[in-house]
Amino acid sequence: MSLADQLKVLIVDDTTTSRMLVRDGLQELGIKNISFASDGEQGLKHVMSTQTHLVISDFNMPKLDGLGLLRAIRQNGPTQKTPFIMLTGKGDKELVQKAVQFGINNYLTKPFTVPALKTALEAVVGKLK
Amino acid sequence: MDALRQIFFQECEEQLAELETGLLEIQSGGSDPEIVNAVFRAVHSIKGGAGAFALEDLVRFAHVFETVLDEVRKGKLAASEHVLAIMLRAADVLADLVRVARDGGSVDDARIGTATDELASLSGAPAAAHGGASETEAEEEDFAFTPVAVAFPAFDEVATEPEPAVNEFTITFKPHASLYSSANEPVVLLRELERLGEMSVACDVTEVPLLTDLDAEGSYLAWTITLKTTHCEDDVRGIFEFVDGDCDLTIEGTAGVSAAGEDEIEALLRRIREEAEAPVEDAASETIAVETAVIEAAADEFSSTDEAVAAPAPVHDAKLAIVPAEPLPAAQKAEAPKADKAASGEAAQQTIRVDLDRVDRLMNLVGELVINQAMLSQRLAEAGLSRSSDFATGLDEFEQLTRDIQEGVMAIRAQPVKSVFQRMPRLVREVAAATGKKVRLVTEGEGTEVDKTVIERLADPLTHMIRNAIDHGLEKPEVRAANGKREEGLVRLSATHRSGRIVIDIADDGAGINRPRVRAIAEDKGLIPANAQLTDEEIDNLIFLPGFSTASTISDISGRGVGMDVVKRSIQALGGRVSISSRPGEGSTFTLSLPLTLAVLYGMVVTVGDQTLVVPLTSIIETLKPKPGDVHGFGGDSRVIALRNNFVPLIDVGRELGYRTQIVDPGAGVALLVESDGGAQSALLVDAIQGQRQVVIKSLEENYGRVPGIAAATILGDGRVALILDVDAVVAGARNGGLASDNLLALAG
Repeated sequence: MSLADQLKVLIVDDTTTSRMLVRDGLQELGIKNISFASDGEQGLKHVMSTQTHLVISDFNMPKLDGLGLLRAIRQNGPTQKTPFIMLTGKGDKELVQKAVQFGINNYLTKPFTVPALKTALEAVVGKLK
Repeated sequence: MDALRQIFFQECEEQLAELETGLLEIQSGGSDPEIVNAVFRAVHSIKGGAGAFALEDLVRFAHVFETVLDEVRKGKLAASEHVLAIMLRAADVLADLVRVARDGGSVDDARIGTATDELASLSGAPAAAHGGASETEAEEEDFAFTPVAVAFPAFDEVATEPEPAVNEFTITFKPHASLYSSANEPVVLLRELERLGEMSVACDVTEVPLLTDLDAEGSYLAWTITLKTTHCEDDVRGIFEFVDGDCDLTIEGTAGVSAAGEDEIEALLRRIREEAEAPVEDAASETIAVETAVIEAAADEFSSTDEAVAAPAPVHDAKLAIVPAEPLPAAQKAEAPKADKAASGEAAQQTIRVDLDRVDRLMNLVGELVINQAMLSQRLAEAGLSRSSDFATGLDEFEQLTRDIQEGVMAIRAQPVKSVFQRMPRLVREVAAATGKKVRLVTEGEGTEVDKTVIERLADPLTHMIRNAIDHGLEKPEVRAANGKREEGLVRLSATHRSGRIVIDIADDGAGINRPRVRAIAEDKGLIPANAQLTDEEIDNLIFLPGFSTASTISDISGRGVGMDVVKRSIQALGGRVSISSRPGEGSTFTLSLPLTLAVLYGMVVTVGDQTLVVPLTSIIETLKPKPGDVHGFGGDSRVIALRNNFVPLIDVGRELGYRTQIVDPGAGVALLVESDGGAQSALLVDAIQGQRQVVIKSLEENYGRVPGIAAATILGDGRVALILDVDAVVAGARNGGLASDNLLALAG
């Protein structure tokens, strides 16, 4: 059993296309347990009720944005250390800086390639296979 | 990838609509920060998706646009009239870029350039947009961030890591006899349940009777189960899904120790939002303090598992990654009320995307069902069973159900007219700019629903009518001012449901129809005789005649070689009607009335020769029994019928369609007075009327090709195929001397 087989990943993004692209990337990397949420609030509910090893979240979302989700996760004891990768657009430098303050583990610039996703993931959780 | 592309473009459409709606809302005074956020998100999402598909032009433009919106969002740029005008134009360019990305073609570079420059001038940034993407990329590479590796235990541990929530459920389960009779087995359910976690079961046997009283098919046992599980209540309930209704089931949850309850989530959300609102420094630095520790700890881990980590950037001291705490900009604060609003607002509507083919297939099947039901009813009537028999009652219910299902499926295909109405503001802006008029568009009843096909085919006529309303209806600002009107003309587009049809009004507050001029033009073009006595209404309707165009110079806007006659024809093709009401100096209103669906129509079933035909009810004005004295020969085989001091051509449908060659006695048949293209009346002679009913339209074109004089076919209750008459084609055919010869051309045109 490799890490990829066991890793439970949550994708939080309000755009279906984006969710599917991340999902396809993750599946290509052999990750099987993938859940989805379409806004920060849903994401938070998922993280707080279901075991999640890694959150990959967009920044711009209705209800609760990526930063809000990140902060909520960091302030909630059991999920405080849940790895968090932020998806950002090109040129969202300020945003990444802010996200770093609040404790992201890595960020990934959209559009991304599968190797880039792999690099970003492995930098956080270690070798997938 | 293609499927993804399709989804992306679908989403783009939604985002573009949201963008435009939002901008217009801001323009009309909306100051809710959530609107600006929604607008920003729309552009941002398009940019994000476009990036994924390497649509460089789109990404570049969206980026510039987004930059400006971001400044508005942060309050650095006021959403003035000027700014909004530029942004609306930019939204149009963005829409074009999306369309080009989807369908191919190209967008005028100059337009993109102008829009980009305009946007860039707003954001105060140098118009570096064209090279913007690479620049930001370079910036990002400079940005020092070290991924924070997590102290991830070896994955064996991952697997055994305790689940965060342990729930305890008390379940009582008492099967009904029906559970057993539908081949379900409680023990299987209990085993399923056991797989969810730790379980203890107690069986209640107190209701088991003495053997003599025992019904072998009865149900006497009940169970009480305690289950400790990491699964949620839904998962537990899911096990009993298939026996739902066949048992008494209660599931009571004892909140697990660390299970995150709704309350806890709510509290956390509230805290996050309050923090976003409160002076931020404290919160931020506090978080930083925690995070420094976390990151440091993580950094140790990081260096020790160095070989396992493919770091994208050189490994720095983790502390370097921490940017000095700074007050969060206004945007952050602005998000708090938005989030609250979204949370307290109604839950987002749940939708699924379904392939249109599937809905159409379902629609077809329902059509078959309707036909089948009609057949059964007819057989029942033929069998002479009384209406009160059980069978008849059952059939009545069946009929009701069929109708409900039919309505349900139609409702799936129904869409709000919003999708068409939304295209109009842009059109209005363009036409207003081209004609130098000031126009305000007001739309009402955007939520009114109608069949998707109707909506699609409504776009062209509506576009044309709105163009006309601005180009011909509204006066120039100076003329309006001189007449004591507001300089800004008003065009109102509204939709409502009325007696099973959708009614769309296009009203302007312009000069109204210039009747003397319309009349003069019609005379000039030989459309009416010089001395014709016409009512105001009849004059107004002249503009629907083919070959009529009031624009003395063919303007870029209205003069596209199509006139109101084309509008009328396309509305009629949808089974609809157009009418005008106009008051000089006050404006005109065009009213479209359309059926809600194209799948069924109400028709009059008639007999012609040995054939059964269906004539759409919408085209029939009245039916009459011709008296021999009323019918007069009119050269050759042509005949007219006298009708209230008026003569209308009498058309023998049987001869027209080639069912018979000899002339029949009109007195033996029935005449249907119909209105066809251009409002001309004719009488269609048929042998007899069988009745009126709803029929399901079956296209002939797909399988057979186009038949002159026939619009489509349907299947009647007795299983026979009946053809649906194309009234316009039959009338036009009779006028041109027979469908068979040159009418094919007329149809093709």
